[in-house]
Amino acid sequence: MPKALRYLAQAVLYAAFVAVIGYFSTAPRYEHLPADEALIKLSFSHAGERKEACRERTPEELAKLAPNMRAQTVCPRERVPVRVEIVLDDQPLFHVLAAPSGLAKDGASTVYRRAPVPAGTHRIGARLSDVPSGEFNRAGDVTVELKPGHVLVIDFDGQTGKFVFRS
Amino acid sequence: MLKLIQLAGQWLFLRVERLFNHAFGEENNPLYHLGQISFFLFWIVLISGLYLYIFFKTGVEEAYASVEQLTLEQRYVGGVMRSLHRYASDGMVLSMLLHLGRHFFFDHYRSFRWFSWVSGVVLLWLVYVSGINGYMLPWDRLAQFVTVGTAEWLDWLPIFNGALIRNFIFEGAVNDRLFSLFSFMHIGLPLGVLALLWIHTQRVPAAKTNPPRPLMAWLTASLVVLSLVKPALSQGPANLAVAPTTLELDWFYLPIFPLFYRWSVGEVWLLVGSATALFFVLPWLPPKLRHHKGAFHLMIRPDNRIVAAREGETLLESALRDGIAFPFDCRNGGCGKCKCTIAYGKVDYGIYQNEMLSSEERAAGQALACCATPLSDVELEYVPAAPLGGIAVKRHRAQIVSLDRLTDDVMRVHMKLLGEEELRYYAGQYINILLPDGEKRSFSFATAPHERGPLELQIRHIPGGKFTTHVFTTMKVGDIVDFEGPLGSFFLREDSAKPMIFVAGATGFAPVKSMLEHAFHIGMKRKMILYWGVRSLKDLYLPDLPRQWATEHPNFSFVPVLSEPKPEDRWTGRTGLVHGAIIEDYPDLSAYQLYACGSAGMVEAAHPAFAEHGLSQDDCFSDAFKLAPHVARQGEHAVLVSLGGGGGSGHA
Repeated sequence: MPKALRYLAQAVLYAAFVAVIGYFSTAPRYEHLPADEALIKLSFSHAGERKEACRERTPEELAKLAPNMRAQTVCPRERVPVRVEIVLDDQPLFHVLAAPSGLAKDGASTVYRRAPVPAGTHRIGARLSDVPSGEFNRAGDVTVELKPGHVLVIDFDGQTGKFVFRS
Repeated sequence: MLKLIQLAGQWLFLRVERLFNHAFGEENNPLYHLGQISFFLFWIVLISGLYLYIFFKTGVEEAYASVEQLTLEQRYVGGVMRSLHRYASDGMVLSMLLHLGRHFFFDHYRSFRWFSWVSGVVLLWLVYVSGINGYMLPWDRLAQFVTVGTAEWLDWLPIFNGALIRNFIFEGAVNDRLFSLFSFMHIGLPLGVLALLWIHTQRVPAAKTNPPRPLMAWLTASLVVLSLVKPALSQGPANLAVAPTTLELDWFYLPIFPLFYRWSVGEVWLLVGSATALFFVLPWLPPKLRHHKGAFHLMIRPDNRIVAAREGETLLESALRDGIAFPFDCRNGGCGKCKCTIAYGKVDYGIYQNEMLSSEERAAGQALACCATPLSDVELEYVPAAPLGGIAVKRHRAQIVSLDRLTDDVMRVHMKLLGEEELRYYAGQYINILLPDGEKRSFSFATAPHERGPLELQIRHIPGGKFTTHVFTTMKVGDIVDFEGPLGSFFLREDSAKPMIFVAGATGFAPVKSMLEHAFHIGMKRKMILYWGVRSLKDLYLPDLPRQWATEHPNFSFVPVLSEPKPEDRWTGRTGLVHGAIIEDYPDLSAYQLYACGSAGMVEAAHPAFAEHGLSQDDCFSDAFKLAPHVARQGEHAVLVSLGGGGGSGHA
């Protein structure tokens, strides 16, 4: 192959190489969320109540313990799982039973869920159970206007015992 | 199925490589330098990254702003550097994948190559992690997508269990320290890549890490042009309150991210985990039950080195691993630089470009060392690209000045160089006498390099041998001989302090004489012991010379060993095989260097015995001529004797 032609061929092949790089570094475009949708995220970390209530040790039980271990009150470590339900416009959106973390199941229950929903006005109801009886003892609801692409985060504040809706 | 995929891949690669050979030439064909290109692109990424790091600010607002400022206000420096950083990273992934693909299709990942394969897979993942981490830094909408996606992916793991995403759940949840962490990771991970690159190439003999210069220049220029034509840009500032809708995704690094939202995260983990596990075990798939090919040995000329070939190893790899300066370039059967001649034995010729080795060349015994693997013990010869010590191999003419018959079958020949040119050589090297019909006969220098007198050869007569019969019958003083040299890499190693044992069998004494006289001349104080093994006393053709050395040099001792002493010899010295005597005297050879020069039989028997007694392969130098350890002999007189004089040699 003549030298000039070889250089030309090289230029074409290098151009093809960088063209492949240039193209696939940004294309084809990826549609992460359709333009008419919004996103609801449920995310919280909350410790349920203890599975068994604290109790007082009997004198006999205390006598069996070493003197430095004789605490009057004993509290079992294990906590109940946290149950949460989210309803969107009267339709169930999430229903999660989150086990407590830790080997002794004494840590917080952590929940993360995401769901794309049509943009617009929505009524959202949330209820949570963190007690041994399993009843939903916390609840909240809100009506929100979700713009396309916007993210509504449903959090739970364990200190106030209330759901927090952030958008 | 696997074989079919590999055959299809080979077909494709060979055709594209042939096409590229026309355009780039064999030396600069990028497909022959994929690993080196990956390495080179890594350097571009590193240098451009260092520049970007100078201007990058680690803060929620500052990260995006500083990258925008760099991109837009330094359009032709910072902007180009940012683009180069991205595009070289993308190119690196592309070249790594092609590199991996080529090795897979050509089945170059099994046996001893598992180490490079497995370390390469780890390297690829680490490059991915580095790249994904890099996309988090500019804190634009793509960074938000990548960061949130990564957190969601990792949160599937029980150790995180939904806790990680809490750091990115609200706008305002991230703080400046996050970017310090990202920056720290983006320095540490590439350092890990660099360390792994070094590890990855450790088992590749004579691994090259830089592509040819024209390739580097073209690659750099092409990437700069791309950076100018299509600069890498941010995609708007991150806002955790708004989900990115449409993104310009880098499909080289981020193809897995869309899967998080099409499949479940667990399924993506299963895919990645399975693919990784498959890549890791691929060198052992399908498992070969009771597979044992056995190791073969290569006799490589003109170095006259015996090299053990590992299973699946090409002739070139074996030679390079043993430090032989075998010429090569592409390593892929595309340039023909490693073409060699197979003098004995069978090889699998491998897969190569047909133009590089014609069927006529193949029929004539030629092979491409980078593709051929031994199927038996093999003797091969190559043309050295660079002579030992820079001393060029030249053709010389000399005149016979004396012929001394030392025994019935050993002739000492002195010859004087014609012309004024001085012949420089290393003690232990040899020459090829050129016969009128084009044939060659090899003999070692028996003179030390510093001697200015005639060259000495010690030639043993082989009954029926063309040249040695001529020496013993018709050669006379005044005759002219043509020869080429110096040749060979059997020479005295002066860079060691270990005591040396010299083993000479019959006329193998010649190169040993050259080496010892050289050692005495330079005042070498290392302990030296010469074992000279012959059949009977009459074969000890210069008995007084080593005895004289022993009296003159306290660090030298001489042990003659007769294997078949005759009654009239009245021999009271050592008897038996010469290597047996050495092992008897030195049961632990680990602290010694050993130079063996003699018949094939002697070296064949001695080499494994010495190894069993602790002699390191690096300290064993032998010069048995026309020998591979398991080469079957075709007769009592065939191809047996040493370079050091030709006695009994098939080259007689």
